[in-house]
Amino acid sequence: MQSTAAIEQFAGKGAARAARRRLKGGGGVDARPRWWNYVLLAVVLGISIFPLYYAILLASSDAGTIARNPIPSVLPQGNLLSNVIEVITSDIDFWSAIVNSVLVAVVTSLSVVFFATLAGFAFSKLRFRGRKWLLLFVIATMAVPVQLGVIPLFIIMAKVGWVGDLKAVIVPGLVTAFGVFWMTQYLDDALPYELIEAARMDGCNLLQTYGHVALPASRGAGAMLFLFTFVGSWTNFFWPFIILRGESLTLPVALQQLQSSYFKDYSLIMSGVVVSVIPLLLLFILAGRQLVGGIMAGAVKG
Amino acid sequence: MTTTTRPSRTSSRRAVLARLDVRLTPYVFISPFFVLFFLVGLFPILYTAWVSLHEWDLIRGQGEFVGLANFQFVLGTDSFYKALRNTFSIFLLSSVPQVIAAIFIAYILDANLRAKTFWRMGVLVPFIVAPVAVSMIFAKIFADQSGLVNNLLMGMDLPAIGWHSDALASHFAIATMVNFRWTGYNALIFLAAMQAIPREIYEAAIIDGTGRMRRFWHVTVPMLRPTIIFVVITSTIGGLQIFDEPRMFDTAGSGGASRQWMTMTMYLYELGWGPQVSFGRASAVAWLLFMIIIGIGILNYLITKRIATAGGPAKTER
Amino acid sequence: MKITRRTALAASAATAATAALASCGSNDAGGTGGGGGDVELTVATFNEFGYEELFAKYEEANPGVKITHKKAATADDARANLMTGLAANSGLADVEGVEVGWWAELLQYSDVFEDLTDPEVEGRWLDWKTEAATVDGKLIGYGTDIGPEAIAYRADLFEKAGLPTDRTEVAELLSGDWDNYFEAGRTFVEATGIPWFDGAGGTYNGMVQQLPNPYEKADGTVVPLADNADVKAIYDHLAEYKDISAGLTQWSEDWTAAFQNDGFATMLCPPWMMGPLAGNADGVEGWDIADVFPGGGGNWGGSYLAVPSQGENLEEAKKLAAWLTAPEQQIAAFEAVGAFPSQVEALDAEEVTSLVNPFFNDAPVGEIYSERATSIEVQPYQGPNFFVINTVVSDAITRWDVDGADPAESWEQGLSAYDELGLA
Repeated sequence: MQSTAAIEQFAGKGAARAARRRLKGGGGVDARPRWWNYVLLAVVLGISIFPLYYAILLASSDAGTIARNPIPSVLPQGNLLSNVIEVITSDIDFWSAIVNSVLVAVVTSLSVVFFATLAGFAFSKLRFRGRKWLLLFVIATMAVPVQLGVIPLFIIMAKVGWVGDLKAVIVPGLVTAFGVFWMTQYLDDALPYELIEAARMDGCNLLQTYGHVALPASRGAGAMLFLFTFVGSWTNFFWPFIILRGESLTLPVALQQLQSSYFKDYSLIMSGVVVSVIPLLLLFILAGRQLVGGIMAGAVKG
Repeated sequence: MTTTTRPSRTSSRRAVLARLDVRLTPYVFISPFFVLFFLVGLFPILYTAWVSLHEWDLIRGQGEFVGLANFQFVLGTDSFYKALRNTFSIFLLSSVPQVIAAIFIAYILDANLRAKTFWRMGVLVPFIVAPVAVSMIFAKIFADQSGLVNNLLMGMDLPAIGWHSDALASHFAIATMVNFRWTGYNALIFLAAMQAIPREIYEAAIIDGTGRMRRFWHVTVPMLRPTIIFVVITSTIGGLQIFDEPRMFDTAGSGGASRQWMTMTMYLYELGWGPQVSFGRASAVAWLLFMIIIGIGILNYLITKRIATAGGPAKTER
Repeated sequence: MKITRRTALAASAATAATAALASCGSNDAGGTGGGGGDVELTVATFNEFGYEELFAKYEEANPGVKITHKKAATADDARANLMTGLAANSGLADVEGVEVGWWAELLQYSDVFEDLTDPEVEGRWLDWKTEAATVDGKLIGYGTDIGPEAIAYRADLFEKAGLPTDRTEVAELLSGDWDNYFEAGRTFVEATGIPWFDGAGGTYNGMVQQLPNPYEKADGTVVPLADNADVKAIYDHLAEYKDISAGLTQWSEDWTAAFQNDGFATMLCPPWMMGPLAGNADGVEGWDIADVFPGGGGNWGGSYLAVPSQGENLEEAKKLAAWLTAPEQQIAAFEAVGAFPSQVEALDAEEVTSLVNPFFNDAPVGEIYSERATSIEVQPYQGPNFFVINTVVSDAITRWDVDGADPAESWEQGLSAYDELGLA
């Protein structure tokens, strides 16, 4: 049985509160799982995993076999590795697409965490004129479909010579409204005024206070925000598809090119899909609980 | 005299600095977001309106001022209404079943399961697969003749479905991709909301002799209402701009021979970067879609407000 | 877009299919010119131009010149590159490879490309190839390769149907007009139940390329689709024979899979199609190529090299483009990757005519395609609107050929889609 503290950490306060209640009630009301809970969950899990498994089946096969057998055999064949290698070394530069994707995702995620924490610190703990309205403004911007500004954004990028440059994808994502809002909410709870006062007494200016107190206090939420931003950046397609060219592709754009290829070997195409999923899958296995916790915490708060 | 004033002068300078620090630094801290938002968010959106009033070619750039001619043009095309229809159809097919399935999954997750984190992570796996990759996998599953689904159907002596030729079937296929990716994610949101429902309410219901099903319908679902609204609102903004999945649904990427699954954003792209290279017309579409989304957002807000003031169990939100 | 998609993954298949010989190098690599300072030139291509070894050779013969090769995977990507580069007015290569599929679209921007007219290169290419690259007397592209069309067929399926299987006999059987080709198909389908050709879309493409003015008059004005009797005639002709079509969109999942499942017996096949065909039909025996094309010769695909005016070393770039498109170099490219040369001289070159393709039952494809290239009489006029109108008609055909709609209704829809373009 997990401790409620652990639940709080992984699944947020609401979940922890609920768990505490459940424990107090000695098992709770609907809390005792029945066998069908597991059966149904297994089915759901099967559906979640199936398309990926199907991709692996095709990726481990060869073009002819795939074309002749619309219903693939249920076990993977042996060509996965050779197909993956062939895709990575093909003319569509998958290898640099992987590197580019990692670069873009890491830089944007770090930057979002940094700037969002900075703003979140200010919004939650500092007093300044217009704070409430500015925060409302930030929240309101989340409802603005900024994707629809692609045309002027493209014109701007063309003016500054960033067409086909990774900068054009990185810079617009350096800080997000969601991040600011998220960190504001978190720091509001997690950062006691006493700590700030103490830092101020020690003669820290606000930037130093941020570095010594706010940043460390936001580690948990920062990690979640990092993961969210990373996934978002990794899976982003529309804008990179418009602005990236030639040598500087990210993975989704490289995948699109793979699909529009003129000789289609579906074992290679699906290998490309598998390659694009693996890095994030590894990250997910390592840090998936944080992502789960983040989504649930966000839900209770937001 | 001067010796005594010196320290006080420095201390007053320090005080000024400290005051400035307190006064100005907060603005400096929040400024990155605002600067970036104005540069790459707000300004482009507003500028879109300006572009939409001009003849504006991808390569030649700004041309003559043409007033509302681009809007007139776009609103005079069948494609625009088709795109509008497809976008909403795909959105409905993806949001409604998704919310229902997510609540259901959350409900079965809401128990003292063994290996809780495993199950929760399990339903979240699709979320980390890029829409483009999801779409490429499902394009193969939904291929008309060589696809998995149709061959299974034919294997069972059922008629094959025209996943690409039939508009509604293609919307369903695309919505399936969206649902695949987002249902688990939303299930976790509902799960958190369910766990925040005070258990006393359930206990009271049990004492009243309410059965499991009734408890679900009469306690759980009403208590989730604010969360449902939240999920629907957030998915509206993204859902109406859908591009990745339909774009990748076939190789050509134009939305089918009759544009039967071309969405608004695809139409925008086709006008701007396709053979017409008309940024003016594309901007008109962007601006129209923008107004539609904002309109729906305001509608959502009003409805939410009414529900909130109409009482009912409040959300556990501060 | 469907007309001309080419890519990289074809590389392995294409090279295997054309049985590349080692690139020979007996020709001198152009005149030395830039004796002065170092010149850096970038060349943008896509898919397989077969230039890799040629670049090295050029650098060797022209000390001080350094060539960077930017290779896009697909023609679509190359188009997007070029369009965005033009839009940004920077970032383009000194020499850009352009596919005929979107070449016409670029003609309206001829002012941002260099005039490549040069007495030295006069008469180098087939006339129609040069004509299609000339705007107001200005030559804006040097031809690289072309796509003369032949017919690829399944000899084993022909045998089943009691049709001749030998490629000369097949050529005889199919020579004549399209009616003849379709009627042979009817006989075949009645005997076997297998569709005759892959799809009406691909076939339409072959047919429309035989019209001198498919959608636009020579002065550039469009022929309204409703008044376009030629196109309507082809459309109706195809619709009449929709029962012998396999109903597949080229490059789609189903089309790719059909090669492995006896999906159809013939298809229109330019030289660059040999690679994808052999790749898709890997392991299938019986494909062959006949030296014939209904309704006279026809061309599908091919490319040009153009020099954008935004470049810094225009003269050097022109020189390189001229050198690369000289017959000797294009022959070498043909040997390397099978890009069929557009140069008159190259067509009779021993290296070209001697090529056989083992996948297609050792068909003498070099000879066949040289013959096909010279039999092309008409190069359709493709103005800036060719591509959009062609898409409208192709979509109309797809609606009944693939999606099962009614041809007459689909034509009406096509007309309203045409009106949407607002061209008139």
